[in-house]
Amino acid sequence: MIDVDVQLDRGSFRLQADFEVPGKGVTGIFGASGSGKTTLLRAVAGLEEGARGQISVNDSVWLSRDADIPVHRRKVAYVFQEASLFPHLNVEGNLLFGRTRVNELVHQFDLEEVISLLGLKDLLHRDPESLSGGEKQRVAIGRALLSKPSLLLMDEPLSGLDHGSRKSLMLFLEKTIQSLEIPVLYVSHSSDEIARLAANLVLMKDGLVSAYGAIAEVLVQVDSPFATSEEAFTVLECRVGEGEDLHISHIHSRGGETLRISKVRHGVGMPVRLRIQARDVSLCLTRPLHSSILNILPATVRALSRQVENGHRTVKLDIAGDNVLARVSEYSCQQLTICPGLELFAQIKSAALVT
Amino acid sequence: MLSPEDLSAFAISLRLAAVTTMILLLLASPLAWWLSQTRSRFRSIIEALVALPLVLPPTVLGFYLLLGLSPTGPFAGALETLGIDRLAFSFQGLVLGSVIYSLPFVVQPLQNSFYALGKRPLEVAATLGAGPLHRFIHVVLPLSKLGYLTAAVLGFAHTLGEFGVVLMIGGNIPGETHVVSIAIYDHVEALEYSQAHWLSAALLALSFIVLLVVYSTNKHFTLVRS
Repeated sequence: MIDVDVQLDRGSFRLQADFEVPGKGVTGIFGASGSGKTTLLRAVAGLEEGARGQISVNDSVWLSRDADIPVHRRKVAYVFQEASLFPHLNVEGNLLFGRTRVNELVHQFDLEEVISLLGLKDLLHRDPESLSGGEKQRVAIGRALLSKPSLLLMDEPLSGLDHGSRKSLMLFLEKTIQSLEIPVLYVSHSSDEIARLAANLVLMKDGLVSAYGAIAEVLVQVDSPFATSEEAFTVLECRVGEGEDLHISHIHSRGGETLRISKVRHGVGMPVRLRIQARDVSLCLTRPLHSSILNILPATVRALSRQVENGHRTVKLDIAGDNVLARVSEYSCQQLTICPGLELFAQIKSAALVT
Repeated sequence: MLSPEDLSAFAISLRLAAVTTMILLLLASPLAWWLSQTRSRFRSIIEALVALPLVLPPTVLGFYLLLGLSPTGPFAGALETLGIDRLAFSFQGLVLGSVIYSLPFVVQPLQNSFYALGKRPLEVAATLGAGPLHRFIHVVLPLSKLGYLTAAVLGFAHTLGEFGVVLMIGGNIPGETHVVSIAIYDHVEALEYSQAHWLSAALLALSFIVLLVVYSTNKHFTLVRS
C-alpha cells in the first residue's frame, strides 16, 4: 500500500495531495500541466524541502509527524523527464552508480538482465553525450531499476523524445514496468500513456487530488474535473475475437459486446485494452442504419454530469456491463431528453488499442 | 645567468605557491560548497570577508598580519602552545599570509563551478542512494574538474606574484622568505638589470607554459568566469 498525505506551500502554489493506492503495479498520476504532478512526485521522493504530512510505502514510513527520512535512505528511484545521466561516467558507470545500495551478489545477475532487457549491450562503453534521447532514457531507466528501489517514480519519461523513440520506449515500458515487483508512480499528461500503462489512477487538479483508485472506476466519475474535460476517456478490458474481415479485427468486451477495430496482430483470445475518447462517442435514440461508423452498440445511460462545461455534458453509459463516457452537447442532451435509465445507441467513432 | 641566491628565491616562491595552493584547495572546497548551497543569512558576510583581499591593498593585509603574528601580538600565546615560536619573518608566516591573500582566487572559481552544476545531478545521485559525502566525492568533484583547475592555476599564480604581503611579513631572509618577486625588485633597486631580466623572463616563461598546458588539455577552460 502506498499511503500519501502531503502538504507543501510554494508561494502562490499549494500542494495538498491525499491518496492511497496498491503497493504493486503502475499508478498513473494524471493532470494538466501546473496541476502539481511533478511536485507531488518530488515530495514523495523527498526532494522537496518543507513537505509536511505523511508518506508510507509498503509499511516503511518515509515521512510522518516525527520523521523525515532523507532522499538517499528512502529506497526510491526517480526517472526524470530529462535522462540526467552523469556526464563524467560512461553508460556502464551510470548503470552501476546505484550499487552502493545493493548487495554485490544480486547485482551481477541483475546487471546482465537489465542490459539485455533494455538493449544496452552495445552502449556500455559509450559516453552519455553520444547517445540519442531514447537511448539516454533507456539508460536512466536501467540505472533506476539497478538501484533496487522499493518504489519507482517516473516523471513523464517519454515527453522529451521524438515520435519514433517514444513509440519504441513505450513498447519497452509496457513489457517491463507492469511486471515489476515494486510499485511505480508514473506522472504523465498523455492519456495514451496512462491508458496503456496504469492500473490505478490519481487525478490531479490545481494542487489537489480530485480522484484516485482503479483506473476504470476513476475515469468514469462523471463529475470529476477529468471526466468533464475534453481529454476524458475510458478504457475497456477486452479479448481478441475471431475476426473474418480483411482489415478488421473483432474485439469482445467482458460483457460480450463485439467491437470492430483496425486489424491487430494479437492472437485470438489475447487480453487487450481499448481506449475510447469521450468525444468520439455520440448518441442516437434509434439504431442508425447505413452508417460508416463501425461500432454502434446498445447502451443505457447511467449518469449525467451536473455541470455543463463549454456547452457539453459528460454522459456515463453502460455498455453490456462496461462503463463508457460520452461527451455530448447540452443542446443534444435536451433534444434527446437524455436522463439516467434511458436506453439508446452509442456510436463509437474510434477506439484505440492500447495493449 | 641566475645566481644561487636567485635560484633559491625561485625555489622558495615555487614551494610557497605549491604549499599555499594545496592548503587552499582543501580549505576552499568545504567553504565554497557551503557558500554555493546555503541559504543562511551569514552567507553575504562570509562572502564579503572572503572577497576582501581582492580589494584591500596587500600592504594593509600585511600590516595587520605583522601585528597579529608578532611575538607580542594577540595570537602569540595560542601560537606558542601550538609549538610555533614565530610566524612573522618565517616561511610558515608567508604561507599563512598567502593563504589569506589568495583565498578569493580559489574560493570563487570553485563556488561558481558548484553553482553551475545545478541541483539535478545531486538529486539523481540521492535518489540512487548516495549520501552527502558519496555525492560530493563521486558527483561534485569529478563534475567540477575545470573549476578546480581554474582555482589551482589562479591560486598558484597569484601566490607566485605576491609582493606587498611578503614585503610586510616576510623580512626578506635569504633561503627562507626571500621570494622571487622581491628578488626582482631588489635587483632593479641595485640597477642589476640583467639579473632582473633573467628572473622576470623565467617567471614569464613559466606562467606561459603552465597556461599553455592547461588550455591545450582542457577544451572549455577559462580563467575568467562570470
